[in-house]
Amino acid sequence: MRADRAPAMPNADDERTVLQKRVDRRRALGILLGGVAVGAQAMTACSPVAPMTDEARETRLLAWREYIKGNYRSMTETERGETIARLERLAKVTRGADVKIQSTSAQPGVMFGYAFNISKCKGFRNCVEACINENNLDRRAGTQYIRIFEMEDGVVDLDEADATFQHEVPAEGHFYMGTQCFQCADPPCVKVCPVGATWQEPDGITVIDYDWCIGCRYCMAACPYWARRFNWSAPDVPVAEINPNQHYLGNRARKMGVVEKCTFCIHRTRQGRLPACAEACPTGARVFGNLLDPSSEIRWVLANKKVFRLKEDLKTEPRFWYFTD
Amino acid sequence: MTRRWTCAAPLSLGLVWAVVACRQADRLPPNDREVVARRTDTTALAPGALTMLPAAPVTGWKGPGERPFEVTLRTADPVSALARRFGTITLRTSLRARTPDLGQYPCTSCHLGRRMVLADERVADAHQNIKPIHPAQTGAACSTCHAPDNVEYLALKSGERATLDHAYRLCAQCHFSQADAWAGGGHGKRLDGWQGRRVVMGCGDCHDPHKPTLEPRIPFRAPQLQRQRGDAP
Amino acid sequence: MHLKPFVLSALRSATTGGRRYHVWMGSLTLIMLAGAYAYSLQLRYGLGVTGMSDHVSWGLYISNFTFLVGMAAAAMMLVLPAYILHDVDFGRAVLMAEAVAVAAIVMCLGFVVVDIGNPLGSWHLIPGVGYLNWPRSLLAWDVVVLNGYLVINLAIPFYILYGRFRGRPPEKRRYLIWMYIAVMWAVSIHLVTAFLLAGLPARPFWNTALLGPRFLASAFTAGPAFVILLLWFIKQTTKYEIADGAFAKLALITTVTAQINLIMLGSELFYKFYSPTHHGINARYLFFGLDGHHALVPWIWTAIAVNAIATVVLMIHPLRHDPRWLMPACAALFIGIWVEKGMGLVIPGFIPSPLGEIVEYTPTVVELGVTAGVWALGLFVLTVLVRVALPIELGEVRSPYIEKATPSAPIVRPRSTPPLRQPTPPVRTR
Repeated sequence: MRADRAPAMPNADDERTVLQKRVDRRRALGILLGGVAVGAQAMTACSPVAPMTDEARETRLLAWREYIKGNYRSMTETERGETIARLERLAKVTRGADVKIQSTSAQPGVMFGYAFNISKCKGFRNCVEACINENNLDRRAGTQYIRIFEMEDGVVDLDEADATFQHEVPAEGHFYMGTQCFQCADPPCVKVCPVGATWQEPDGITVIDYDWCIGCRYCMAACPYWARRFNWSAPDVPVAEINPNQHYLGNRARKMGVVEKCTFCIHRTRQGRLPACAEACPTGARVFGNLLDPSSEIRWVLANKKVFRLKEDLKTEPRFWYFTD
Repeated sequence: MTRRWTCAAPLSLGLVWAVVACRQADRLPPNDREVVARRTDTTALAPGALTMLPAAPVTGWKGPGERPFEVTLRTADPVSALARRFGTITLRTSLRARTPDLGQYPCTSCHLGRRMVLADERVADAHQNIKPIHPAQTGAACSTCHAPDNVEYLALKSGERATLDHAYRLCAQCHFSQADAWAGGGHGKRLDGWQGRRVVMGCGDCHDPHKPTLEPRIPFRAPQLQRQRGDAP
Repeated sequence: MHLKPFVLSALRSATTGGRRYHVWMGSLTLIMLAGAYAYSLQLRYGLGVTGMSDHVSWGLYISNFTFLVGMAAAAMMLVLPAYILHDVDFGRAVLMAEAVAVAAIVMCLGFVVVDIGNPLGSWHLIPGVGYLNWPRSLLAWDVVVLNGYLVINLAIPFYILYGRFRGRPPEKRRYLIWMYIAVMWAVSIHLVTAFLLAGLPARPFWNTALLGPRFLASAFTAGPAFVILLLWFIKQTTKYEIADGAFAKLALITTVTAQINLIMLGSELFYKFYSPTHHGINARYLFFGLDGHHALVPWIWTAIAVNAIATVVLMIHPLRHDPRWLMPACAALFIGIWVEKGMGLVIPGFIPSPLGEIVEYTPTVVELGVTAGVWALGLFVLTVLVRVALPIELGEVRSPYIEKATPSAPIVRPRSTPPLRQPTPPVRTR
């Protein structure tokens, strides 16, 4: 007989718990399949599964190819062209936006420098507005790369400064000073990135490959000038306000969970144009140019004005100077 | 008889010429030490036209990189995004032409005989939009800066004249350090990009000469220090 | 051939237990599920569901990570005397400490994964496939050393337990070198974590040479304190023998490191407040509040008070040897150091920001849920490991394929029925 293989009957004195009861294989299989059926039913009831459209299929494929691509620095020209085509196509399909993404590399013999005149800045924040529009910054989160600080005359102390002023400017007895990414010559943010998603280009702009960034935010902790921003939620820019003139390393559409920052409007400056902030400033407080060109205005300012930089003692060598009239 | 006519004709022609020339002389500026080119064709300054006007280097000033600060003029190109945008290439610094912006230019449209009309003959609503704040600050009268005998020109202290497009020569008389910075690049705005030809604004493009200080205004919105949360629960 | 019975008996050990055990594991599972749901919200809506911001860009997750790396390192405090100095007292305690180390590392890795904004991109860290910015980035160092430490702490106990399981006691000469490596590695994982904070001149609160030593001191206080609590619990609830000498030595280690921790705290306070400079502004915010912002002030002073009182209690000889004083003191130290190292170190580094702006930080419910889920995961792992190790150590479980019985490990066939009464066979009518 098969008595020795019969399942042990539950006994009142049995101290095994429910979890230790033995069932035979057939019953166990039945329980499992029943559970799977119930679970599948519940899942399909919660999530409507529709047949995939061609567009959805294409988006899936493009998204997959984008996911498995490597670091921008390690791509060949062909691969860069392909990823840009994919990104442009994704922008068209998902948002209906016609964008043009450049992959222009740095011009030889160019090193960008920036000078800010704290006598001239009146706190208008035209630069902030221009930057938001030019760089497709998240409107919902209100991301701003540029900070304008209002300080009392007499002391340059950021601890006592206020960037949240909202009154008529310039206010009596105060002066104004703006910060953004200073594209330091020895950037602490580049050093600390664990995946090498941020690096400095030959023309001095520190850039981020948004698709390579894992969002650990170590670079944000490392920046002494609070220049970096994180996408805490999916960034939202109304389609009508998207600036279609984009650069892969600059103002193209970023995604949730990655870091971004000012890139000196890389899509403009590599074409010989001024960054949007310098162009928008109505008082002429912003001077931008090529540090390697002795006949540039930035070189004139450095040679003829008394300039200083923030946190000089940290030896980050920022390429952003302040001067007065 | 024929000999008399042949002598009289050139003589009378010469007389007519002398009379006309004397009257023309009234149109010429009395000063022969003018260093600024004179506009020969007023239609060349219509908006949209690009005209290169030769000018001598402005002595004593250095542009960025120690270059001689040479000035050429270009007219405004209304096609560009901002009305003050224009540009391209070559070597020197270009100045944005001022006069196309002046609503009441040319002055001769009101000023008869190019002279400044005296108070009792002043037209009631002329120049009422000008608030002479800067003249009040400096104790200047109209004639301190505007040449009394020809209102299309600005009078410099040295006795020279400058056209309204070259107003920087007038401002630089007092604001010499700002002018130095402007020539070098630390003052004012560059209109084109950072690369290539340098096109700058003139003094009057930012500063109203009669009320130079920029008006206070309400700034663009302040940043939110506490992060705005999205549609997260 | 012993591997399959080893795994099966491990599974059995882990899933077998009384009601209290199942209630404990069930509650942990529920908390893990709640944490998973909270994490799903985070994946869907972004890290905006937490209380972090561009100003305070690291919060509860990295605070816990920092604390737990210390816990993992401190487990090795026991390894050193036990294996290398042949201290018999510690011998029984070591495996439990290694279980603590593994659980702590699992929690560390868990906290890092929930903190990063693009977790699907984690493969970018793998050298070869992605790019690991080693040796420049301290975070890359951390990835290497933490994973290596996890491997070492799984491999060595596995070797020991598996050896005992199959009746072949582990050979010291084989694993002793790994023990030396493990001890040095333990110190290095916490130093690397300290360096990743201390190497940032942008954050003057962290940018001090004392941060590494402070980390080690606080880790070697909280770690042994937790191990004391765990061992006491094991001693009360199982047949596992742990000598009183082990408790005494652990308590002594905890006391000394707690004193060192207080001395280092005093040193930092003096340095930051005797001649206050701009570099001390973060400390001013933490200890005294700044410009009307003082959210962390009650926390830090409570933590310091708790630490000080617990240290004083431990310094008193008879109290240290009395479990009724020792256990609460250890629990107090554990909690006090968690507050001091987590909230009192990571958060104030960001307030005020490098540009002087003050934005305070409060964790959200979702953030607390994910944190609780990761802690539950760690405790779950710890329970499972202890549950697996104990029967093997006690000699209750051995491989069925052992050929001869040894006096210390009598053959015990894997039980297919529970150890208690056999069920009465059904009455047959034939």
